[in-house]
Amino acid sequence: MEKVAILGVGMIRFGLYPDTHHTIMARDAGLAALDDAGVSFTDIDAVYVGHLFMPAMAGVRAVKEIGMTGVPVQRVENASATGTAAMREAYLAIAGGHYDTALVLGFDKMTTVIGSAPNPQDMDEAILPAAFFAMWATRRMHERGTKPEHLAAIAAKNWNYGALNPMSQRQPKETVTVEKVLEARMVSWPLTAMMSCPIGDGAAAAVLCRADLAKKFQPDRPVVRIAASHLGSEVYERGHLFMGPVVGPAQMSRDAAKNLYQQAGFGPKDIQLVQVHDAFVIEELEYYELLGFCREGEAEKSIEEGRFALGGAVPFSTDGGLTARGHPGGPTGLAQIWETTLQLRGQAGKRQVPNARAGLCHMMGGGSVCAAHILVRE
Amino acid sequence: MAEVRPRIPMKAGYFTIPDDPAAPPEVICSRCQDCGEYFFPQRLVCAKCLSRRTAEARVPARGTLYSFTFVHMPLFGSMRVEHMEGYGVGQVDLPEGPRLQVPLAGKQDEFRVGMKLLGELDALREENGKDVVIIRFRPAES
Repeated sequence: MEKVAILGVGMIRFGLYPDTHHTIMARDAGLAALDDAGVSFTDIDAVYVGHLFMPAMAGVRAVKEIGMTGVPVQRVENASATGTAAMREAYLAIAGGHYDTALVLGFDKMTTVIGSAPNPQDMDEAILPAAFFAMWATRRMHERGTKPEHLAAIAAKNWNYGALNPMSQRQPKETVTVEKVLEARMVSWPLTAMMSCPIGDGAAAAVLCRADLAKKFQPDRPVVRIAASHLGSEVYERGHLFMGPVVGPAQMSRDAAKNLYQQAGFGPKDIQLVQVHDAFVIEELEYYELLGFCREGEAEKSIEEGRFALGGAVPFSTDGGLTARGHPGGPTGLAQIWETTLQLRGQAGKRQVPNARAGLCHMMGGGSVCAAHILVRE
Repeated sequence: MAEVRPRIPMKAGYFTIPDDPAAPPEVICSRCQDCGEYFFPQRLVCAKCLSRRTAEARVPARGTLYSFTFVHMPLFGSMRVEHMEGYGVGQVDLPEGPRLQVPLAGKQDEFRVGMKLLGELDALREENGKDVVIIRFRPAES
């Protein structure tokens, strides 16, 4: 197997773009990634596009705005994990020796699907994602004595990271406090609007290449390499939910972590920053434990100690996470790759994690799947 | 006395509608004939042992509340004033094994993890002179 590097990353700020066509958003992210990689579209051997809500053909049409070289273009869809899953396909193709380079492009416009009412004939539609994750929180509160303040602390941390990230959808002007998060509109008890990701549009991209070629394209920059790649789906256990916008069960993230650490040859002690699927902040709390960054039952104590905040032992969601940076769908997982790549290069500005040598990017996709990677600085 | 209209399910195949309006519904599951595992909703292939010998199994609508929330939004597909302010949602474990994710009758302070619940039919709206009903669960104790 060939080793695979992240040669370039690019994205547009996530947000509301009612007047911008998704093709234009995708083009701009793709061009930014090519520029960051220092390559031309003629250097790209294959393109993998990820979109969730856009119509058929949207991917190949968006790629035409970047260039028309006859390159293979393949669409990947895996709910929230779409961008991550698209990158994994590019990784596998390069690792398998089929291509030297690939462009991965994720985009979506959630604002175009809002108002397209769910099917009232379908029982699944009675259960919103917010309700599903709120029930994670209620159960956790029952089992571990978690307080809404713990959830609010994660949210406040992520909002305040968002203020440091120019690509974040939410960029609060003033420091967000636990009190402010708790006072926000209740969406699905105990989750408030500020504990939930926003609706938004966005695009993000990455250029992957054979690791031995990375120095040729970018001789003066540290090489960021994919040390592990994982995609898994569910294993049946009693109590499995077969209906609704389901993500889980928890074992799927434990299995992902185990597989990633085995591939990488190191574990959480050697990882300096983590991005997770914090669509609702209770998820981030659970992933502290499921990914092995604290022991089961110790997430609340770790939050109180600031273990996963900027300046803590292992900062999580350093770009604001889905909570603040946003979660348009297709590009979300690639925004995690954008952030982790900049961190590992030492280019993350005010939110730079000191001595970042390895970062973990973890996404969940409804249905459900878990897609995750570990990136390392060579 | 409210007019009694014929009742139709929001979607067929999930629960029964007894002729007697006072009788509780049953939940329509599948049961594996080889390993005995129950599933909701119905499925052909047993998710536990992969046997294809599954059969419909109707079980009483009662269970234990595994978790819950109260959604501060109107219930999809409902035209009832009661549902405009929001609605409870619960994960309910049937004694046979399946976990259901269903609307709950009542307000947030009436729900407790671990409490016993009973299923009932709830009319969401009227269509062509019929009540469109969904299954929901209500605390069996106070």
